[in-house]
This record gives sequence, C-alpha cells and structure tokens, in this order.
Amino acid sequence: MKFKLSISLFIGSFAVIIFIFSAALIAIIDYRVTAKLDGVLWTVPAKLYSRPLELAENIEINIDNLVRELEMLSYIEVSNPERSGQFSLSKDNLQIFLRGYKDQRSGIFNISLGNQKIKRITNQLGLSEDLIKLEPIVIGGMYPAHMEDRVLLDWPEVPQILIETILAVEDQNFFNHYGISLKSISRAFLTNIKAGEVEQGGSTITQQLAKSLFFTSEQTIKRKVMEAIASLLIEFHYSKEEILLAYINDVFLAQSGRRAIHGFGLGAHHFFGTSIKNLDTDQIALLVGMLKGPSLYNPRRNPKNATKRRNLVLSVLKRNFNISDAEYENLTIKQLGISAPNYRTETKYPAFHDLVRLELQENFNERDLRTKGLAIETNVDPILQDALEVAIVKTKNQLINKYGTKLNDLEGAAIAVDISNGEVKAVVGSTRPSSYGFNRSINAIRPIGSLVKPFIYLTALDQYKDYNLTTILDDSRLSLSSGGIIWEPDNFDKKFHGNIPLHVALWQSYNIASARLGLDLGFRSVETMFSKLGIKKQFQDYPSLFIGSFELSPYQAIQAYQTIAADGFYTPLRSIREIKDIKGEIEFSYPYSIEQRIRPEPVALLKFAMQQTFERGTARGYPSKTIESWSAGGKTGTSDDQRDSWFVGFAGETLVLVWLGFDDNRQTPLTGRTGAFQVWKNFIDDINPVFKQKTSLPRINYVWTDMNDGLLSGKRCKNSLLVPFIKGTEPNITPTVRRKCSNRKETSDGGFLERLKEAFEGGQG
Amino acid sequence: MKFLRLYITAVVSIFLFSCASNQTTRDISAYEVPVNDFSRTVELLIANEDFLETEIMRINALNPSVQRIILGADEFLKDKNYVKVNSELERALRLTKTEGALYLRIAHLRYKQGLLRESESFASRGLLLSNISSWERLLLNVYLKN
Repeated sequence: MKFKLSISLFIGSFAVIIFIFSAALIAIIDYRVTAKLDGVLWTVPAKLYSRPLELAENIEINIDNLVRELEMLSYIEVSNPERSGQFSLSKDNLQIFLRGYKDQRSGIFNISLGNQKIKRITNQLGLSEDLIKLEPIVIGGMYPAHMEDRVLLDWPEVPQILIETILAVEDQNFFNHYGISLKSISRAFLTNIKAGEVEQGGSTITQQLAKSLFFTSEQTIKRKVMEAIASLLIEFHYSKEEILLAYINDVFLAQSGRRAIHGFGLGAHHFFGTSIKNLDTDQIALLVGMLKGPSLYNPRRNPKNATKRRNLVLSVLKRNFNISDAEYENLTIKQLGISAPNYRTETKYPAFHDLVRLELQENFNERDLRTKGLAIETNVDPILQDALEVAIVKTKNQLINKYGTKLNDLEGAAIAVDISNGEVKAVVGSTRPSSYGFNRSINAIRPIGSLVKPFIYLTALDQYKDYNLTTILDDSRLSLSSGGIIWEPDNFDKKFHGNIPLHVALWQSYNIASARLGLDLGFRSVETMFSKLGIKKQFQDYPSLFIGSFELSPYQAIQAYQTIAADGFYTPLRSIREIKDIKGEIEFSYPYSIEQRIRPEPVALLKFAMQQTFERGTARGYPSKTIESWSAGGKTGTSDDQRDSWFVGFAGETLVLVWLGFDDNRQTPLTGRTGAFQVWKNFIDDINPVFKQKTSLPRINYVWTDMNDGLLSGKRCKNSLLVPFIKGTEPNITPTVRRKCSNRKETSDGGFLERLKEAFEGGQG
Repeated sequence: MKFLRLYITAVVSIFLFSCASNQTTRDISAYEVPVNDFSRTVELLIANEDFLETEIMRINALNPSVQRIILGADEFLKDKNYVKVNSELERALRLTKTEGALYLRIAHLRYKQGLLRESESFASRGLLLSNISSWERLLLNVYLKN
C-alpha cells in the first residue's frame, strides 16, 4: 500500500515537475516570441548615402562625370535601354531607364545635351520633365555586432507576385494550418527515412520564421520541439498577414563580406540595385528560389544554378496559374539581370566616414545608429571623392618616380568642399585612401606655412583706408630680438626684394614683407581676422606666426579658406544633410547657415591676388582663359625645412585643400608647388569644374598699375597689371616715365555712362 | 511743337545728368554709410509681414526646374513646415546658385525662424548676384534693415 502510494506520489510529483517545466519553457518561449515580434522587430543599421544627383534643364553639367556616376550606380550601357538600370549615350543625347528612387518614378528619360548643359529632359511620352533624380549610392552603414542588414518593407510595398511566389514555393497550405502542418511533416519524414538522412524539411513559413528568429540551424529533436512550440505560439499571437510580413523581412538571402543580407527589401537592392516594387516576375522568382540555398543559388557566384532554380520556381508559378504559358516561355529565356555589387559593407570612404561620425556624435548615441534604421544623407559626391582618391595616389606615384623610394611612406590628406554652402564633397585621410587608421584630414595638426599669409593680407585689405593691393611693403632684412633670441626671417629664394606692391608680395609669397605687414597690423587685429575666418584655436603672439609657424589640421585650414572663397561669408562645413527615420521622416537636419563676417570687397581684392598665384605665381601653368572662367585662386605653402607641402585653391564652385608630408615630421624634397599643388592639379584636371558666374561688386574699380612701384600705369606700358580697388582708394599718381604709354581711357572709371549705370545700381549696405 | 520737343529733350538731359553727377565715385566715406534711407515702399514692406511674404512669393526663378522646387517650398511655407521649406530651398540652391528668388526666400525663411543675423547674411549674399532685378534688390534690402 505504502509502496503504491510512493509510486503514485513519485509519478504525481514527476508529472507536476514536467508540467511546471513545460509551462516554464512555454512561458519563456512565449516571452521571446512576443518580445521579438511586438516591439522593434529587428535591429536595422543606419545607412550612409551619397548625395542623390538631380538633373535639371539648363543646368551646367560635366557629361563624363554623369556617365561615371551612372556606372558607379551599376547602370549598364546598351544600344537601346529596355530594362531599368540601363542607359545609352550618343553625342548629344543620353537615354536612361531610371530605377526610381523615392518620389522619382522608374522609366525611360531622354536627356538632350549640348555645350556642357542639359538642354531638355523628356519622358517616354516625349513630354518635358524639368527635373529627374538618380538614386544615391549607399556608401556604408553602422552595423550591430551580428552584422545583420535589411531594408524593412511594409504591406503596401510588398508586390502581390512576391506573396504568390513565396506561398507557391514555400508553403501552399499557409492559410489553412496553425503553424505546423502534419501533412508536410509526414511527407518529409517518409522522404528522410527512405534516404537515411535529413534530406527534406517539412517546415511551414511560420516554422521557418520561428527557426530563423530564435534557434540555430542544427537538426535535433529538441530544437524541432522548441521550434514547433514557438510556431504554435506565433500563430496564437499574430495574424497570418503579420507572420508573412515578418517572414518577408527576415529571411536570409546572402552574405556580403561580413554583412548578412536579410529580407526581400534589401535582397532587391543587393542583387538588382533597386527596390522590390520595380522587380519583374523573373527577378522575384530568383530571389524566392534562393531561399532553398542562399549560397548554392547565389546568382553572382553560381549563375547557372541560380538560372535553373529561377526557372523551376517559374514552372511552379505556371502550374499554379500565376503566370501564363507564354509568360513562362518569355521569362525563362531572360538573363538574370543582376547588377554589379555597388554596396560597401564598411565604407569605401573611411576618411569621410570619420567626419560623419564626428558630426553624428553630437546628436546621436551609438546604439541608435546601429539599430534604428536611420538613413543618413551625406554630402559626399562620389565622383569628386573617387577623383580625389585617384589624384592623391597618382601624384604620390609620380613623386616617387621623380624623387625615388624615399617618398614611399609619404602621407597626405585632401578635402574638397562646395564653396557656397559649405558641403564637404570629398575627404581623403591618407595616401592609401581605402585603408582605415589615422585620418590626417582631421587629426594631423601641422604648421601651415605660407597658407597663413592670405589671412594676414586680408587683415590689411579689410583696413581699406590704409591698405590696398598696391600699398608698398618692405621686403628688406628684418631682425627682431626677443628674450635674447634673434629672429631673422628669410625668403625662400634667400633674397631681399626691397619695396614691392602688396599683391606681388602675396603671390610671390615673400616672407619678410609678410612678417613686417603682420607686425604693422598687430597681433590683435590678425587674431580677430583668424576668428572671423572660423579658426577656433589659441593664438600665440610669435612673429614667426606671420610666415607660417601656426599649426592647423587640413580640416581647420579649409574652413578658414571657405570663408575667403565664399566672399567673406562664413559657413560651418558639414558632411551630413539630414537624417531620416525608418519611415522616411526627417529626424534631424544640418541646415545651410551663413554669417557675413567680412565685407565682400576686401575679400575680392584678396581673391584677385590669389588668382595671380595661378597667372604668374607658384601655381602658374593654366591658360588665363581657364583661370578666368573658373574664377580660380590659390596659395601654396611650405613649412620650415620643407616638412609640409600645402596647397589650397578654388576653381568654379569647388575649394580643395591638400597636405603632403611624413607622419614623423621629417624633411621632404617637396614645396607647395612640387607636392600638394600637383595633387590639386591632377584632381581639378580630372573633374574639370564648370564655369562660375562672377559676383557683382559695384564698389570695385579696376585700374592699370605698375607691378614694381604700384603707381598708375597703362595697358600698353611694360610690367603693368589691371588691379581692383575699392572705389576711392585707387592710386592717383602717374610717374612721368609712364605718361606716354598710359591711357586713362582704358580704366573702367569715370565715364558718363558708367556713372549713369551706377546711379541706377544699388548695393548692399 | 518744335519748342515742346526741345523742352522735353532738355528736361530729360538735365535729369540724367543730375543722376549721374550725384554719384561721388571718389568719395571713400560712402563705403561706410549703411543703406538706411529706405523708401516708403520698403517701410511698408517692413511694417506688413504678410504683404512682404506675398511679394516674395511672386518672385519667380529664371530656371523652370528651380521654379518647380520653389512652388513646392512655398506650399510648405504656407503650412509653416520650415524644415521642409529649408530642405527644398537648399535642394534648389544645389542646382543653381544664381537665382535671386532663392536667396530672397531663404532670407525670409530665416527671418520667420527668428534667425535675423542669418536672414541678413543670406540677403547680403543675394545682393552679390549680378542678374537680379531692381525689385529683388529692394526686397533683399528689406532683410538688411531687420
């Protein structure tokens, strides 16, 4: 009796334990199921996009660069575009079959070209379309540790044919079971018994979802039981539509480097370079077919297998009457239509990525960036970025050929920005641009050499009552004593040049004249100008500062030059445009902001002197016509013992700054001209900037002056130059020797009509 | 009749000459004088913000593509969706930097956002364009007054 009781007690206790254990297990699985599927379903990494290129009528454009961008976007050149992602190019016409992007619909567009301009844009019907947009290039992402990536789809974005294909191939009984299909399991069981190994799965879509969300891929009884419980719970908690959408967003489709491609949304972008809504039936069939074996049927690696599998899926669709016999015949003979991979797992532009991260740090935490699916629209121009990378590598190779292997570990940095709006277009932080590591464009703080001189000269020109471009500066021996130390600057050519006009001292980059000018102006007024230009750095009162001992990073230096190139309007540089949340709403933006810090007239005078650097100074070599059309200007810089080679120059709407040197600060054989300027030149020659319209400055007057004494001269006089002045500050003495050759009529000043014109022209205050 | 023609010619000539001779091109101090002497119209524009906004929205861009964007931006402005207005105007400024209509609108937007210094700077930037009309110039000057 006692024994019987013990047995019953034991069985009862065991049953209770089993019950409690099972209940706990179910509760745990239930918690995991609801926790995973209720809130944020998946972690979606933030993605970085290049700027989308917009094409509009009457806009100047570099056709070669446009074609390069199409190629970067994996558009394929054909004779007659028939599918999205194709284009054709003739002498004066570009035809693109756009893939579509956000508000830009897919379709064929004709672009009439001529004279480096877009003349007309028309659609398939021949109707005028004044604005079209190319999709941006994804330049990287910010991934969570597991490196899962996806583009989430919502119901309206899911094409009907995708649903039909998934159901036909993966689970024909989906709407009639409760998560587990005994019919499918028994069929698979028999097949596996016959084969003597696990050959076929009987998993429903719900089971597949449960498996991929919560369990590993190992084929054990325990896992199967857990998976079955999870499936039943999923069916209990969620509708069939919710389960199917979760499946569509979660399936694993491919591995791209360290990044795992999940969901049909990203699958469409990864393999076809477009969104799912733009895919044809054969392309959908291919993606669905890949579910059976993402690696085996990967169309890039195994195109034959992939084609076979796609056609098998198409035959299932034909059998189920989803497509007609004729459609089947047409679709099975189609090419796979896979685009070239254009997505970078980790950004191809690491230096630019660094800059973006710096800006993001102020407003976003790392976790949000890795999980919330933010879309970060950057300002990077992939054409300029690639061209800048190519230029720095090409120049280094040219320099090694010229100076030998001692330049093997020469390093460099370069930045390109849009002058007007301060958008950073390209950043290079090394002479090996695709490598990660020390980003010299932001972190290398180096003496800027003669790059400091325009800041000093602008301080003077801003005091326009005392200084103009022909003010005579003294370039004779200078000796200063401070604390027992004697400081005697010398010029690069080791000569003294006596009295010279201010503009000549700048474009010839004479050190002594510049040092004297800085000393005359005083440290405080120069410091104020530094601050106006956007330099946020401690200022130290050393006279050597006036000739380049001042240290800045390339990024800090280009910020100051942006203010100069933009006519005195300071604009904080920005690498990001705006950040959108997963629904496409703007979450944060970095608006264009400007502040007029210096009057445009003194800046125009400085820019004239910087233009002379191209005309006759250290950056000479370009034809005058080109310099004029670009409104180009620049400045070379070489630090002590040629440890740093700098060049900054603007052409068209682009400002570019380049630094070359060694990380250990040893001497180079390079000057600003022979080093950094060559990078600038290679870059600008490649991108060929478009013409820039000149600004209107009615208070500027041009007068012929002599390049030696700065006094009035004439067009026919030797050594004369047409120099701009703020009205009322022009020189008024013509030396006797030049009275004959000078011709006052050639100045733009004084005529009745001129004055009449001015009477009706206003100006800013 | 002959006398009348002669009279009109003389009056026009004197007017033109006086306009031209009033300009003192050598007067360096003129450079420092801010434009404070606004006309009655400008005073009116400053006094009535709605009137000013209506006038600005009437300024069209020369480029039709830019005009299309401007029309969208104006709609957002009516809805006071300043983030979108800014986004659209910046988009247009990337296409062309020589449209006075854009600088006017962005100066006005910054004014509406309470960013008066920026508003003034954008207006000053617009005034550097060589292809703007006298009316655009006058409207831009309004923001300098702010």
